[in-house]
Parts: sequence; structure tokens; C-alpha cells
Amino acid sequence: MTQSALPIEEQHARFQALVLPHLDRLLRFAQRRTSSVGDAEDAVQDTCIKAWLCFADLRDAEKARPWLYRILRSVLSDVSEKSDRRRQLVDITRLEQAHEELIGGDTDVVFSEVAARLDSEMLAKALTLIPEDFATAVELHDIDGFKYHEIAEIAGIPIGTVMSRISRGRRLLAGTIIANRRAWGLGTTDAQKPSARARIGGDRSAQ
Amino acid sequence: MSDLHLNFGAQPNERPGDDDAREARHQVLATLLGAYADGELPPETASQIDAHLLGCARCRREVELHAVVSARLSREPQVLASSTFRDRVMQEIAETRLPSAPRATASRAWWQSPRIGVGAALIVLALTAALSSTRWRQDAVRARPVSARVDAVAVPLFVAILDDYRRVMAGDLPGRARDLDAVRAAVPFPVQPLRGAGASLLAAWSTDLRGEPAAVLAYRWHDRLVLEYLVAEPVFFRHPGLRAPIAAGQLVSAVSSPQGLLAWAAPQSGAILVGDVAPDELSALRVGDAVR
Ligand SMILES: [Zn+2]
Repeated sequence: MTQSALPIEEQHARFQALVLPHLDRLLRFAQRRTSSVGDAEDAVQDTCIKAWLCFADLRDAEKARPWLYRILRSVLSDVSEKSDRRRQLVDITRLEQAHEELIGGDTDVVFSEVAARLDSEMLAKALTLIPEDFATAVELHDIDGFKYHEIAEIAGIPIGTVMSRISRGRRLLAGTIIANRRAWGLGTTDAQKPSARARIGGDRSAQ
Repeated sequence: MSDLHLNFGAQPNERPGDDDAREARHQVLATLLGAYADGELPPETASQIDAHLLGCARCRREVELHAVVSARLSREPQVLASSTFRDRVMQEIAETRLPSAPRATASRAWWQSPRIGVGAALIVLALTAALSSTRWRQDAVRARPVSARVDAVAVPLFVAILDDYRRVMAGDLPGRARDLDAVRAAVPFPVQPLRGAGASLLAAWSTDLRGEPAAVLAYRWHDRLVLEYLVAEPVFFRHPGLRAPIAAGQLVSAVSSPQGLLAWAAPQSGAILVGDVAPDELSALRVGDAVR
């Protein structure tokens, strides 16, 4: 039986049961891409309304979460792409070189030290600095817990592209952190908090 | 250790002549190591990588790096939607009537459409009216119109350019930027950068748009990035929506919010500027250029 054949109250109830459990995660995804909590909430609200309006398109309840993310991404590409985030051209070659230096050394010493000190705050900041496509693939997997085939569906790309975006995305994250190691306080032994830390995830701190 | 001194050294036990082959192997492997660390590879591929890892410190580190990054990111704190927000969403849903009858086909095109306004009222409005109202567009109206406006989605060339532009802006850069001479050699028409005030050429490359060769020039202009696509004359004039106004001596503009496009005829080619800018503003980039 199709959704639209059900009485409206029942459609409402089904919709709530499928969508409400994902609201927190959708909001977090949106907050990483907007400049205020209010903007993130607006984007998620628009997503829910769009989802409601095309609820009949959701054939498989199991796929509700990737489906919602896909709608959210289309809303965000409208609303937040106007912000300056990632507008600058990222020097990918430089980041990949930095990553290469990290893993290509003669011994494990430097690598182990850096690996031990990569923290979530730094990574969250680095995520805002690498190209959106790579960041999104990594976030959808590592933060939002999607499998590769779901990411392929959300982003509308082949699974091979998901693989290369995640691999390359994490390398760029490491490269970004290495390239900014002085400014971010990595590689100094004193325990002083790096000044950049205070701003890490800045957009998100307003919650 | 007071600072990190990293160097890109060769692995022990490798002869110098192996470098190229080793590098090529690693390039291929590098795209798989994330999926390996995530347990997303088929078993036979995974065991091939297992075998390689035994003898390769660099790839072992790379795998460890994937695992570390992934594990740390998974600890990103959860956000909780406030109850006010939840109520507001449910309220909006309750007040949003489902469109009747033939929506199943209409809605698909609709929610994938790049031009949806913010807010329920606008969305409901958008279902019954033409999808044309955004704040951005009001800005465009204020600017002095200097061009014939066409519907971006009705011109396949514009759609291809917008796709390519969005990909480039999302960071999927077309490899290393090439010098202008290399780009000129790659396309069958002249390539001459614009000299409008405040515009500086950042990079150039060649690409193809649905199989047709194109030159792309990237300009920095008032702290924005604007791309100019040049395509061969027959490609440019293929669409009647472009042919008629160009023949009448007009520029052609289109909007696919937030992008604006501006097109004109250039020698043996067509030029299309695209940026997150109202199209009529883009015409300033041409100031100083005689109509080419
Ligand atoms: Zn290796």
C-alpha cells in the first residue's frame, strides 16, 4: 500500500516515527555547515517539510536516514553555499605533500607522536578546511556512521568514488593538521593549549 | 622534540630503481586503504592488502592513520535538538498540506531542484507558483539589466557548465592548472583572458563538457572566484535560446541561484562566465574588452 493511500493522520504518525529519531543527527550535520544554530535549525526544518511533501517517494523505511540526509544536502547546498566557507581554493597538493611526509618517514617515531596527538577538535577544524566533497564523505562515515553504499546514495556518486573520497579526505585532514602544526600547537611539547583551539568548531560552540 | 621534522625518505630494503613502480603501486593502494581500514573491501582485496602491509611500513602507517582519524571523529559530540525546535518542526508539518494527485512525479523534480526558498510558506507557494522567488533574485533585479535572460535549465550547455562549476567550487579541481599556452593548444579556438577591472587570472585548464572540449579560465574578482568557460562556436550556437539574442547583439544571462551566468560570442567560440554573482554584475568583467 502506498503512503498516499493512507489517511492523513496515519501518514503523519508514520512520518514522525521515521523522521523524528534522526533530528539530532540532521541538526549536527547542518550545524557543521552553517554559521549559526538558527540557520542549522532552519535547514533541518526545511528538510523535514520537503521530506513530508515527498514522503510518497520513500519506498523503503530502512532508507529513511540516508534519504533525509540527501534532502538536507540539497537544502544546504542552497542555503549555506553562499557562506564563505571553503570559498577559497585549497592547495590540495601541499596538503597531500604534508601527509606524505608524515607517513613516508624512515621510522615510526614521528608518525606515532603525531597520531597520538590528533584530537577530535583539530580534526573537526580541519574538516572545515578541506574541500566539501571529501569532508562530507568522511563525515558521513566517521561521524554519522553511514556505510559506503549509503554514502553513495546520499551523495549520488559511485561507491568507488566514495572509497577514494574517504581515503583522500582523511589524508587531507592529516595533511591539514601537519601543515598547520605550528599555528595549532601540534609538535610543541609543552602542554599549553593552542590558541586556535578556542575557535575550533567555532560555529558549533553556540549551541 | 621541539618541532616536527618530517622527511619523505625511502623505505629500507628497496632499490632506487624500484621507486617508480613502488610509487605507482602506492597511488593505487592509497585509494583503497581507507576502505580497508573501514572493513568495506571484499575479502579477496583485503587479503591482498594484508600481504602488502607485511612488507610496507608506509602503508601500515596510512592504515593506522585512517583508523585513528576515524576513531577520533566518531567521538564528535552529539547535538540535541531542543524540544522547542522539535515542536516547531512538528507544527510546520501539521500545517503543511500534502499536495494532491499528481505529486509523485512532480515532487521528485521539485525537491531536487536547486532553487527552493527558505521556509514552509515559500515551499507551499513554490508548489503552486513558478519557482522563481529568492532573495538573491531580488538583488539581480536591482542591478541594471544588460542582457537577455534565459532559463538556465532550458539550455543544456548552461546546465553542463553549472555542474562543472559546482564540482570545481566543491574542491574537485581539475588536476594541476596548466599554463595558458597548454590550454590554447588543447582547444580548437582562440583563448584570450578578460581584462575587466579588478579581475586577475588565477588559473586555466581545459576540460570537456559532455564530450565537447572547453577552456576554463579562473579569475579572482573582488575576492570571488569566477570561471569563464570557452566553447567552440557550433557548440555555443547549438541552442536557439542563445542563438537568437546573440544574433541580435545581446549578452545572454541566466540564473540558477546562487549562481549567475553571462554569455556572449567570442572569436570562433562562445564565452560563458559563471560565479556566485548576479549575471548582470558579471558584465563588469568584460569592461575594457572590446566585444570579442
Ligand atoms: Zn605500501
